[in-house]
Amino acid sequence: MVDHLLQVRNVDIFYGDAQAVWNVSFHVDERKIIALLGANGAGKSTLLNTISGFLKPKHGEILFSGKSIVKLKPEQVVSLGISHVPEGRRLFSRLTVLENLELGAYPSNTRPYLKESLDRAFNLFPILKERKNQSAGTLSGGEQQMVAIARALMARPVLLMLDEPSLGLAPLFVSLLFETIQAMNEEGVTILLVEQNVHQSLEIAKYAYVLQTGTLKMEGWGEELINNSDFQQAFLGMRG
Amino acid sequence: MAGFSSFSLFLQVFINGIFLGCMYGVAALGLSLIFGSMQIIFLAQGAVMILAAYCIYWIVTLTSIDPFFGFLLIIPVFLGFGWVIYKGLFQRVAKAGKNPSLLLAFGLMVLFEHLMSLIWTPNTRSVATNYSTSAFGLWDINISVTRFIVSIVALITTGIVFLFLKRTMVGKAVRGVSEDMQAAALLGISPNWISSVTFAIGIALAGIAGVATCITYAFDPYFGFLFSLKALIAVAFGGLGSVAGALLGGITLGVLESLSSYIISAGWADAVAYAAFLLILVFRPEGLIGRRSAQRA
Repeated sequence: MVDHLLQVRNVDIFYGDAQAVWNVSFHVDERKIIALLGANGAGKSTLLNTISGFLKPKHGEILFSGKSIVKLKPEQVVSLGISHVPEGRRLFSRLTVLENLELGAYPSNTRPYLKESLDRAFNLFPILKERKNQSAGTLSGGEQQMVAIARALMARPVLLMLDEPSLGLAPLFVSLLFETIQAMNEEGVTILLVEQNVHQSLEIAKYAYVLQTGTLKMEGWGEELINNSDFQQAFLGMRG
Repeated sequence: MAGFSSFSLFLQVFINGIFLGCMYGVAALGLSLIFGSMQIIFLAQGAVMILAAYCIYWIVTLTSIDPFFGFLLIIPVFLGFGWVIYKGLFQRVAKAGKNPSLLLAFGLMVLFEHLMSLIWTPNTRSVATNYSTSAFGLWDINISVTRFIVSIVALITTGIVFLFLKRTMVGKAVRGVSEDMQAAALLGISPNWISSVTFAIGIALAGIAGVATCITYAFDPYFGFLFSLKALIAVAFGGLGSVAGALLGGITLGVLESLSSYIISAGWADAVAYAAFLLILVFRPEGLIGRRSAQRA
């Protein structure tokens, strides 16, 4: 059997008594960009929060590099090399941009590389260097998204999970964002991308899984999905 | 109503207010830090202060060492004490929400007050040294040596906490956790570890304020609640989450009380302080020096 970087196997996830995810399985291979698509409430964020350790699956298994991570706390999951940029960015708005980035390198195994990681972040997002002493709350939405991604990169992740990074951004920023995601991937970071922005996601993602109300509806290569009539109807039609 | 017979008298009252305010400031800083990590008002802050005051009273009476050594002793002991209270009590109830934590703080306050009353009797105590009444003159003003040193300690303490929060990784994490605990966890910061650090520092600050109190004031086991209230007012003056704000809020409160007790009468000092508290809550809830933009959405 091929060892996948991340493997989610038959997970059932509940909020209290309410089941949010039914028997979902998918996997992410190293150095790929994989998209998790679906409408609001499909269970995409729930899955990311479970991988991150905020939620525990009732049944099923989550393996990272072959080892189970379901029992770990969120702060332990980060140290393994999984960084999660949550929906809504969740920056520390009263801290400066630089302080936000520094906290990204908090885990003890990444702290020695703080300076190196900062250079990398400023290379990727030069504007942040100019803004570094501003408090994060004063930035525009696009710039805040850059800080959120740069902050997650500070932990030198193997797998970067992005939850709706394009939400609420101006179209110009969205294109820039997707270019950046591709650039990070070319540097060797594996990406798990959760999006409602189907077209642009499928342009960069190698493979996509489609969720609908908590279950996995279909999966496939980008081209395949776009030309699939079920997919068009369920998804693209709905967006019409 | 008495006016000021001279400018130097005004200065004297003003300076006394600053000295009083420095103590409020340190207590307020502790309250503000604990609020940042647990989102509750730690009602027992004043009782912890008085507990420190009694510890020093006890040690000074038994060993006749100088009470200023108390600062060196209280800081490590109360850091540990705070750590234990957090790990043993608050971490367990924090999962159930804020109300249990608030009740727990209230319970601790009552427990400490009655323990102190049992151990040391409810009688008023004070720590006297052979220089308690010494003062030095500066222009026309008399400056009490003990109050002067206590205020310097307060300023240094505030400075250290400020540098800790601004310059160290753990300090930055404390600020991060106070803003968004989940986001902090996603970066590999353990909210429980940071909260115990924060709580320990908050309790140590209460201890420092307590040592300062016992050197400069007479106290009894129930004196602390008043200090919790005053610290809360100081936090409201300065704006939550600001180190400099807590100290300046404390000093503002001290000066306000000192001036009003001199201009009107001592009985009015608290009334004026609470009235100012209400006015600030209504008209400037972000604090006198807080920035509107820094407010949480």
